[in-house]
Amino acid sequence: METNKASLAFRQSVQAAFLKLHPTHMMQNPVMFTVGCGTLIMVGVTVLSALSASTFIGTFGYNLTITLLLFLTVLLGNFAEAVAEARGKAQADTLRKTRSETPARLLVDGVEQTVSSSDLKKGDLFLCEAGDVIPADGELVEGLAAIDEAAITGESAPVIREAGSDQNTVIGGTRVLSDRIVVRVSSHPGESFLDKMIALVEGANRQKTPNEIALTILLAAFTLVFLIVTVTLKPFADYLQISLSLAALIALFVCLIPTTIGGLLSAIGIAGMDRALKANIIAKSGKAVETAGDIDVLLLDKTGTITIGNRKATAFIPAPDVSLELLIEAAVLSSLADTTPEGKSVVELAKKQKPNFQLNEPEGAAFIDFSAETRMSGLDLATGSSIRKGAWDAIKNWASASDATTLNAVEQEVTKVAQKGGTP
Amino acid sequence: MITEILGVLLIFTLSCLLAWPLGKYMVRVFKGEKVWSDVFSPLERVLFRLSGIDPDEKWDWKKNMLALVTLNIGFFILAFIFLAFQGFHPFWNPNDFGNWEPTLAFNTAVSFTTNTNLQHYSGESGASYYTQLLVFCWLQFVSAGTGIAACALLFQALINKSSAVLGNFYTLLVKSCTRILLPLSVVVALLLVANGTPINFEAIQEVKTLEGEIQQVAAGPAAPMVAIKQMGTNGGGFFGPNSTHPFENPNYLTNIAENIAILLIPMALVFAFGFYTGRKKLALLFFAVMSLLFVAFTAISIHQEHAGNPFFESVGLAESRNMEGKEIRFGTAASSLWGVSTTATSNGSVNSMHDSHTPLSGGIFLLDMFINAIYGGVGVGFINFFIYVIVAVFIAGLMIGRTPEFMGKKIEAREIKIAALIILLHPFLILSGTALSSYLAAKDPSLSAEWIHNPGFHGLSEMLYEFTSSAANNGSGFEGLNDDTPFWNILNGIVMLLGRFLPIIGPLALAGSLALKKPVPESAGSLPLDTPAFGTVLLAVILIVAALAFFPVLALGPIAEYLSL
Repeated sequence: METNKASLAFRQSVQAAFLKLHPTHMMQNPVMFTVGCGTLIMVGVTVLSALSASTFIGTFGYNLTITLLLFLTVLLGNFAEAVAEARGKAQADTLRKTRSETPARLLVDGVEQTVSSSDLKKGDLFLCEAGDVIPADGELVEGLAAIDEAAITGESAPVIREAGSDQNTVIGGTRVLSDRIVVRVSSHPGESFLDKMIALVEGANRQKTPNEIALTILLAAFTLVFLIVTVTLKPFADYLQISLSLAALIALFVCLIPTTIGGLLSAIGIAGMDRALKANIIAKSGKAVETAGDIDVLLLDKTGTITIGNRKATAFIPAPDVSLELLIEAAVLSSLADTTPEGKSVVELAKKQKPNFQLNEPEGAAFIDFSAETRMSGLDLATGSSIRKGAWDAIKNWASASDATTLNAVEQEVTKVAQKGGTP
Repeated sequence: MITEILGVLLIFTLSCLLAWPLGKYMVRVFKGEKVWSDVFSPLERVLFRLSGIDPDEKWDWKKNMLALVTLNIGFFILAFIFLAFQGFHPFWNPNDFGNWEPTLAFNTAVSFTTNTNLQHYSGESGASYYTQLLVFCWLQFVSAGTGIAACALLFQALINKSSAVLGNFYTLLVKSCTRILLPLSVVVALLLVANGTPINFEAIQEVKTLEGEIQQVAAGPAAPMVAIKQMGTNGGGFFGPNSTHPFENPNYLTNIAENIAILLIPMALVFAFGFYTGRKKLALLFFAVMSLLFVAFTAISIHQEHAGNPFFESVGLAESRNMEGKEIRFGTAASSLWGVSTTATSNGSVNSMHDSHTPLSGGIFLLDMFINAIYGGVGVGFINFFIYVIVAVFIAGLMIGRTPEFMGKKIEAREIKIAALIILLHPFLILSGTALSSYLAAKDPSLSAEWIHNPGFHGLSEMLYEFTSSAANNGSGFEGLNDDTPFWNILNGIVMLLGRFLPIIGPLALAGSLALKKPVPESAGSLPLDTPAFGTVLLAVILIVAALAFFPVLALGPIAEYLSL
């Protein structure tokens, strides 16, 4: 199946490479356009050389080889672009597939009928119950429901939509969480929100980015320089009584001009967007990818949808020479009196990691509450030892008297966690 | 050989050391700070009042360029009239030189207005002292001043923050002449006079030589012109043989002084960029890139001249060094250093005959002029270099995936369009000109015989050199070419005009558009320019742009000649 798909994509790309030979498309890339022109001239020269030979025109075999090589150069440039475009299209196809595979419970004269969502027309009524994915954009005509719109808007809290109120529209691709609603389709097929997103992904390659435009100008100038270089070689050679064939001049020209960058330019742009797509980012255009390169700091004001607001323990990392059991015991002891979500999560994690872990509340221990000043909490045991947890620098100061090498090792771990974005 | 190399090192080191303080001083002049040479300001004020110019008014790049072009057109017309009707003025013409042939007058007027000083005439047998002093010498000051003023405007544009106002071209021009060129030239001229360079108004004198022959010896007010020709990277000599002539360059000491004078202001302007914009490290990097090329080229040339012509040895001649066309008092090393200096800085004065250098040494001189930005002509050298920097920044910026920026200003399509056109212009002028002359010479053998005294590869080099020298506003020549014909006079004149003004206007337009942009604050992600990595990119861009475009023709000229030896 996979190989079939790959060979199909390859065939399509080859086909596209030939279709892209159209002059209007070639014109957009001055470098490859000149190579194309060179090829055309060489075709003429090859035909001429088959009929009559001279030093300027050259021999038939040589000319034919040059012509074929030039044609291959042009074709390869187009092929690279087609392959890059095909990858973007594949993403759009996936999106489209999700849409068409969503079943819709169409209501015809009050009778329920399951059809594909792509068959829905404007004005059709459909039914959705808790757990269903809404198949198309529409307006509620009956009922009230909580809807999870996170897939489209990023808002994690469910929104309430109610028929007859201002909030009566639903978007295709979102999920009904409760109740039962009847919706009238409000958009024509191909105009829905999801369709627009697909179009975005597909149409992304149409725009040239500012840097691409600037680079095209520079490459065009270099191409022109080398055109001058090659054309002027002929009179120089004439003056020195050296014979140069036209094929050699055109071959030299193609070697000199920046065909590699020129041929791959659009492919590079598309590849950038493709990589963004792999990271689940839709780049609306190559320009957006470029802008992303210029970003130094990203500010987000919607922390709720991106992280869970409460801090939660996710791992115990013991210092060297300390067993995991000992660490867990100490951590749980220090968290027993801690009623914050953080403290509770420590106990929870301990239970999860060691299901048979049992700990009785120590007797005669004095609990020390967290304060902003000390930035530590914990307890002093009756046996005289004390356990603390808190911010790293506070702990470091508190424990400064003890073993320095252990502290250093712990500090390294702490930095490692912090660098990954966690809170040590 | 060792002493000769030491002499070369001395000249280069002294130039670098003197350029640093001069760069500092020049920035104070550009910024209008108080300097000792303010003694000229009363005179300047009278001049500005007479011409109705407000010296304190500041303009954007367009108005400045309009002033630059208009003024230079005025200079050209005046010079042309004086040359074409030289015979009519009543004084300072003891040898009774007549009017100039119109195409030669056109060529020469263009040549001196554009700071090229390509000479299709010989000073001692065609130019009256009036012409030498009041036309040539004066143009040597103002054309150099024009370049320095344009460069100062460029500096200002680079530090502007969303402001189009750059400065006043007239003020900068006058100040460049009176505060920078004049004092330095006076020093050099005094040194020359002390060593025997003439400054008189006498006619050609007849001298009885030791052999008993009667020889005619030309003199005249040579010292001031020699001084400014070196200081302003002009290169137009008082006498035909330029600084090979004993009156223009009497001894090794004057040779040192003149060679330093060639390099001084172009080097100082690179440092001035650092002082003006506060980016000393970047200026040092630019200087290092230029110096690397300069030293490498000098080394190749010295080596080639020292190795000499292999034919000499095979026929049993003792001297293997190439002394043909060189002065005994300077030797091969000093001649090579001068050759590289004069072609790198678009000066064009010579202390040996470039035509007689070994093929690769001649090729190095050509390469210097193809690049035309290794220190470069006064002002314009840095302006040319700026274009290479823009292209390098653009390419390096794309490599790291950010919108390329130079000193916080984004480089976009408009800037690249201008830079690309300027890069395109140089090979276009040189190659199409040489191609046209080659075509004509190939078609008509009589024309070829009239122009070219050394047919074959060297003949191609001669034609190539002539157009390169014109396009780079250098002015030196491979003198084997008979260039005082209407064809060369007119075509070279046009090439000089285009090769001078477009590479000033274009980069200033580019800088003007940068000046208007809001600077982006530098962050950890922006491309650091003052690093060896960027230096390497810059070097590669310079070599690729110059070498790729000109390599084929170099291969047919100097390299083919070298291989055929």
